[in-house]
Amino acid sequence: MATLIAENLTYSYSKKSKPALNKVSVQINPGKLTALVGPNGAGKSTLLKLLQGQNNPDIGDITIDGESLVRTRSQIALMPQRSSMNWKFPITVEKLVSLGQIKYSKSKNTNPFQIKALLANPKSWVNKCCELEATMQRVGISNLANRRLDSLSGGQQQRALLAKTLMSPARILLLDEPCSALDPPAKDDFLKIVRQLADAGLALFISSHDWGSSLNSYDHVVVLDKTVLASGTPNSIQGKLDDLNISSLKENNSCD
Amino acid sequence: MSFLNNWWLIPLIITVFSGILCPAMGTVLITHRRLLQVNLISHCVLPGLALALALGIHPSIGGVISGLVGSIIAESLTNKKSENYEAVMNTILAGMLGFGVLLIPLLGIRIDLEAVLFGDLLTANLGDLLRTIIAFLTFILLVTFGYEKVVYVGLDPEGASASGINVSLLNLALSFTTALVIVSSMSAVGVILVIALLSTPTLLGLDKAQSLRIAMMRSSFFGLCISLLGFILSIIFNLSPGPAISVICVASLIIPKIGNKF
Repeated sequence: MATLIAENLTYSYSKKSKPALNKVSVQINPGKLTALVGPNGAGKSTLLKLLQGQNNPDIGDITIDGESLVRTRSQIALMPQRSSMNWKFPITVEKLVSLGQIKYSKSKNTNPFQIKALLANPKSWVNKCCELEATMQRVGISNLANRRLDSLSGGQQQRALLAKTLMSPARILLLDEPCSALDPPAKDDFLKIVRQLADAGLALFISSHDWGSSLNSYDHVVVLDKTVLASGTPNSIQGKLDDLNISSLKENNSCD
Repeated sequence: MSFLNNWWLIPLIITVFSGILCPAMGTVLITHRRLLQVNLISHCVLPGLALALALGIHPSIGGVISGLVGSIIAESLTNKKSENYEAVMNTILAGMLGFGVLLIPLLGIRIDLEAVLFGDLLTANLGDLLRTIIAFLTFILLVTFGYEKVVYVGLDPEGASASGINVSLLNLALSFTTALVIVSSMSAVGVILVIALLSTPTLLGLDKAQSLRIAMMRSSFFGLCISLLGFILSIIFNLSPGPAISVICVASLIIPKIGNKF
């Protein structure tokens, strides 16, 4: 179990530009699905990159169970946005998923969480012997193992990417708009899978454009627009939205 | 031993190596969306060739350095996400080529531009062969020890960077190997027409390939067939091999499409 706490994060892409994030504080708890919603340019992807350690905040601290991110970076994995992937690359689903095991950084984490242990739960329906196979089974793509990535549907591609992320020893998963470009059934399917992962003890922080009813699938919602506008349960957020002047946010997401 | 003295032997061996090497390199570059770099580097070698000749260094060393410098300048001025990426690349390309053309009279040297640009395979010597083999071995080293990294960076550069891969260093290694391949192919097809050999067999080899390795092998097979056919036709009909190979490259793309319609 791992809890990520980020406090007062401020970040600018250059000294001359305005902050992309301003005094952002969030907490990601194990066993919970936390949604990060906001309009385009709100800083969602920027925040996820800071939390994963790809970029360093100008001001603010990020800790996992009280330890600084530098020491605990291996406990976080980021599933990137669809647009950052080269979907035409000649690779099979199985090979893609196996890339998630690769770690070239010199992490000194001596007790990494193993997804294998999670999946070896007697109640789960996975093969204990093979982590790769088990992970693909877990997200429902084991029958696609030898298919080329560009021959899959959007939903299948997202599940393959999730499986790759799950292959890392991370306990905290950051998913950058995993449901974009998915049709409603595929989106529901995906949310069921991530719910199962949360129920198994992982902490999931999922950025989303979806401002609709699917927010109810989450335990906690953070509304971001450069800074945190609201944070709470889906019901409390819906109530607060009426009080907040974020009509542009609603308009931005109406097409989603 | 008389067999080794045949005039066509060295050109034939270079044809085989280039036919295998260029498409394999092209497969990596196309899957990494870096084919524009081939165009850039192929045009950037000229100033290096001119300077090396003036300084009394082997021209291929100058060509590789010059190609690499052009590539680094272009990468430092922009990045792939920039809207101006292609414009900057083309500006550097044109500028370096122009600089090379200016240097030739300024330095008072003579370069057979036609041979550099379009190749003169049938007059290739042992030095050309050695250069081709060095480029071949460099590429083999790159894919042997860096295959996983090449795959990861080509598929998901941000994820690769996050997992600890030095993406900039890998891109530099790719640029260096590309420059080597281009310079080594000068004698075979010329720096300009090498683009066809880097691209066309790759388009044929990438189709439905299950992995980068399979795509490279298939591309190399198609490249070898195209190169050998071009070589044989050049000898039979007394043609220039570079342009002949390039024309066959285009034909190999068009003919199957026409065939599919009937």
